[in-house]
Amino acid sequence: MISFDFKYFKPSSVAETIEAYNGVHEQGEKALFISGGTEFITFARTNKIYTDAIIDSKGIPECNVLEMRDDNLVIGAAVSLNKITNSNLFPFLGATVKQIADHTSRNKITIGGNINSELIYKESILPLLLVDAKVKLAKGNDERAVLLNSVFNRKLNLSSGELLLQIIIDSSNIDLPYISLKRTKFSKVGYPVVSVAAILKDNRLRVAFSGVCGYPFRSDKIENIVNDSTIPVVNRIDQVMDNLPSSIVDDLQGSREYRAFVLKNVLLDVMEEMEMGE
Amino acid sequence: MANTSWYTVGKPEQRIDAVEKSTGKVRYIGDYSAPGLMHAKLVKSTQAHAKIISVDTTEAWKMPGVRAIITGEMFPYHIGPILADRPPLAFEKVRYYGEPVAIIVADHEYQAKRATEKVKVEYEPLPIVNSAQQAFQKNAPLVHENAAQYTKIISDVYPKASTNIGSHIKIRKGDFDVAWANSEETITATYSFNLSDHVAMETRSTRVEINPAGKVIVHSCSQSPFTIKKVLNQFFNIDVGNILVHIPMVGGAFGGKGTVQLEPLAYLASKAVGGKLVKLEFDREEDMTTAPCRIGFDATVQLGVTKEGKLVAGKYTYLIDSGAYTDQAAGITRAAALDCTGPYNIPNVWCDSYCMYTNHPFATSFRGYGHPELTFAVERTMDQLAEKLQIDPLQFRIINGIKPGDTTPTQAVLTANNIGDLEKCINRAKELIKWDEGQCIKSGKNKVRTKGISTFWKTSTTATNAQAGAIIIFEADGSVNLNCAAIELGQGTKTILGQILAEKLGMDMNKIHVTMEVNTQYDPHQWRTVASSTTFLAGRAVVFAADHAIAQLKKTAAVVLQCSPDDLEVGGGRVYIKPDPTFGVDIKDIALGYTYPSGHSIEGQIVGIGKHIQRHLTPMDQQTGFGKPGPWWSVGVQAVEIELDTRDFTYSILTGVTVLDGGTIINPMTATQQMRGGMYMGLSYATSEKFVFDEHGIVKNSNLREYPMLRYGEQPTEYLVDFIESPAIDGPFGARGIGEYGVIGAPACLANSLSIATGMELNKLPLTPESIWQRKVEGTI
Repeated sequence: MISFDFKYFKPSSVAETIEAYNGVHEQGEKALFISGGTEFITFARTNKIYTDAIIDSKGIPECNVLEMRDDNLVIGAAVSLNKITNSNLFPFLGATVKQIADHTSRNKITIGGNINSELIYKESILPLLLVDAKVKLAKGNDERAVLLNSVFNRKLNLSSGELLLQIIIDSSNIDLPYISLKRTKFSKVGYPVVSVAAILKDNRLRVAFSGVCGYPFRSDKIENIVNDSTIPVVNRIDQVMDNLPSSIVDDLQGSREYRAFVLKNVLLDVMEEMEMGE
Repeated sequence: MANTSWYTVGKPEQRIDAVEKSTGKVRYIGDYSAPGLMHAKLVKSTQAHAKIISVDTTEAWKMPGVRAIITGEMFPYHIGPILADRPPLAFEKVRYYGEPVAIIVADHEYQAKRATEKVKVEYEPLPIVNSAQQAFQKNAPLVHENAAQYTKIISDVYPKASTNIGSHIKIRKGDFDVAWANSEETITATYSFNLSDHVAMETRSTRVEINPAGKVIVHSCSQSPFTIKKVLNQFFNIDVGNILVHIPMVGGAFGGKGTVQLEPLAYLASKAVGGKLVKLEFDREEDMTTAPCRIGFDATVQLGVTKEGKLVAGKYTYLIDSGAYTDQAAGITRAAALDCTGPYNIPNVWCDSYCMYTNHPFATSFRGYGHPELTFAVERTMDQLAEKLQIDPLQFRIINGIKPGDTTPTQAVLTANNIGDLEKCINRAKELIKWDEGQCIKSGKNKVRTKGISTFWKTSTTATNAQAGAIIIFEADGSVNLNCAAIELGQGTKTILGQILAEKLGMDMNKIHVTMEVNTQYDPHQWRTVASSTTFLAGRAVVFAADHAIAQLKKTAAVVLQCSPDDLEVGGGRVYIKPDPTFGVDIKDIALGYTYPSGHSIEGQIVGIGKHIQRHLTPMDQQTGFGKPGPWWSVGVQAVEIELDTRDFTYSILTGVTVLDGGTIINPMTATQQMRGGMYMGLSYATSEKFVFDEHGIVKNSNLREYPMLRYGEQPTEYLVDFIESPAIDGPFGARGIGEYGVIGAPACLANSLSIATGMELNKLPLTPESIWQRKVEGTI
């Protein structure tokens, strides 16, 4: 059980949300946005997270959108992972998020919550980084749509009181060839030892990683290496290993050395599946 | 041995708790709430081994709603089921991470929890004993300074002064040294695995009150209601008749709810608030580390054999990591010794089984009671030895399989009735796993399919006076209520007992009402619902109760029908004349006595009483192990086929096979599911489960985010179960116990299949792709 007291707000519009946030903030208290609430509940239960107030975004209409609008797919931040998979509107994203947690949890876990997770994995971000998704953010009276890549660096860097409303994906990026490979300790339900997602766009492989470093990432340098057809694939993979943005994670899911071993194999599979040469 | 003349025995009757459970309407202990109910929460040790310098409760007392705070020095005594070595609340020192240090009682659960965060405990760290191997070394730090001075509750426990040995069980059969020296081929191998958890779906929970008349009323999710009474009587000096224990349906136990931990704590909590009703419910994290878990295990096995493959000598050294207290690990130490060889006839046996204190969470019984562990060690050795001898591993097992006329390691004599037929089980498993199609097949690029097999056996090491009773009473419509203290914990025992009664009375299952709740005040005494013993013990009690009722039914009917009771038969809700079944009387007309048209009534209601107590069991001799530890041995065989990716060591389990000789199978459907569930559990800890400790003895994964286990849907793709039914003449309708058996061979057959697939001897569990990779890396250095 959660032993500390906290206020609960469930606003029904962006304006009310901002108002609730400011109200809490003005009293010198901490407010936290939630949508599915799975992380909040599980972390608060063990005192790993504390807040004076939670603001539930499930009541905000913009956060519950899941549809094609003109040439864009719009996904509200409070849409559950299962809804995304079942809608089949974006099979690459659907396949990637289906590897997160278990079915029952995915009924609750939302894409906004997963992107803003306290954990290092945030696997739903991988396809979004690769398809140059935009995010619609709200703060005060302002709403802005920006490239995800411009605000995501290790985590979604929002300013205080800023709220993720929607994710917007250009329809031209929805049907690209893709692969999403996740390796776990043993059970399919578990955090990634290594999770790699990749697409082929304009004959160029784009690739993003989770479970490798302490944050999910996509790297220009790595993409240049994997696309360098002058070098044999195994050598390209060796070069990738030398150019990871930081040291490989070493934790209960897998040792650093083991993760490196798995990553090399997964990259081989990705390159083979996407026919990236010998 | 299907007997088609049986009415319901041998038929796949639906479980009597199926509807309630599948509609989510069962109320478990934790679901209960009431006005005025108080809540207890524990302050737990953050250290694995440390002196308690002080416990400062000043700030905690200031928290709202706090009614009582109990610390260890308020009850500075030791309790335990076998050796009394565990204080309910730590005093003077803590011995494991998560150990209860203080109890807070408050009006609301959140208040109690908040107050626990305000208790300041000052520790002085002590050196950590972080493995059974380390504990065994000379000059290892001592977990208990005076283990030899603890009170023995059961005779077969031998703590050794100034060591970490909580018990040492010896088997000395024949002359091992001579046989070993004369062996034509030998093997010595070592094995290990770490502690893990039961992870029952329902976390442990209890509530206790002391009413103004002095009655202590306990509601709990326990496998041992009468042991709760015993413990509260023995250690808290309450008259046993003043302790009332209620057990509703239990949400999974697997042995973990056999021990008594929460009830004494909740009793102390209730006592501190004037006897008010207090609830103590463990969070998942507490259920994993504060509550007892499963043993860790280290083994060295030496086998000596003739060239022809006949085993002549076996030596077994088992180090059981019991954690901070012996609890049931002391019993497991004994159980692992008395079945140390696996189901093989070995004339010269030497076994030293040690229960080792460490600074890990303490271990208790877990489905299999040491047998999955010893079977892993023995069956891996058998495979390696078969390879040395170049004998087919199945043939090697058949050559050495134990049979009637042979003796067990404790020199108990086996007969056609007390041991199943191992060879039949092996041959059936061989067919099901398609052994003859090859044990190792290349199945694709970097893919290999291999098969591994394991035999297993186990006896039920109950107390020598373990017993059960049953009472049956009748309704006015002729239907029957069955009361018995067997606990329904998901294993389906109440359905099985209902079937036994229905069979005896020749009555439909829907006329049998089995009371789900157990109440020690009106249910006859039953030892405990553990050790796969309930079908046998309680089943026999039900048979006797039914016979008792039948005799009464016939007596009344004989008066009504004007004949001798010997002329009568009971069945179909009637008592009738054997030669003319149309001439009879309905049970409903005599169940509560027979009333003549005149109004005169005779005989009164039918009350059937039955009981059964173990026969001819003995303790074990301290020097040789000689004794008769259990009523029968069930034997079986398990096999898996796996597919391994030889490049990255990921693998999947394609087929799982279990063949068990459980005597007569009362309900083939529940028995099949029990084997499947067991094998799944065994595969889960063989592939995934273990506690990870840091160098300070702290558990790093005491939560379900990080404790790895198989999930629903990850069972083998093909899941085959079959039974050999060599009847046990003294079991109910020929049944033996089967509850634990599905789990026993699973780790061994998985390790055997993976050892073949990888070409490496894999002798440590769990077998994750990482651990196999690690083994490969170490092997190539």
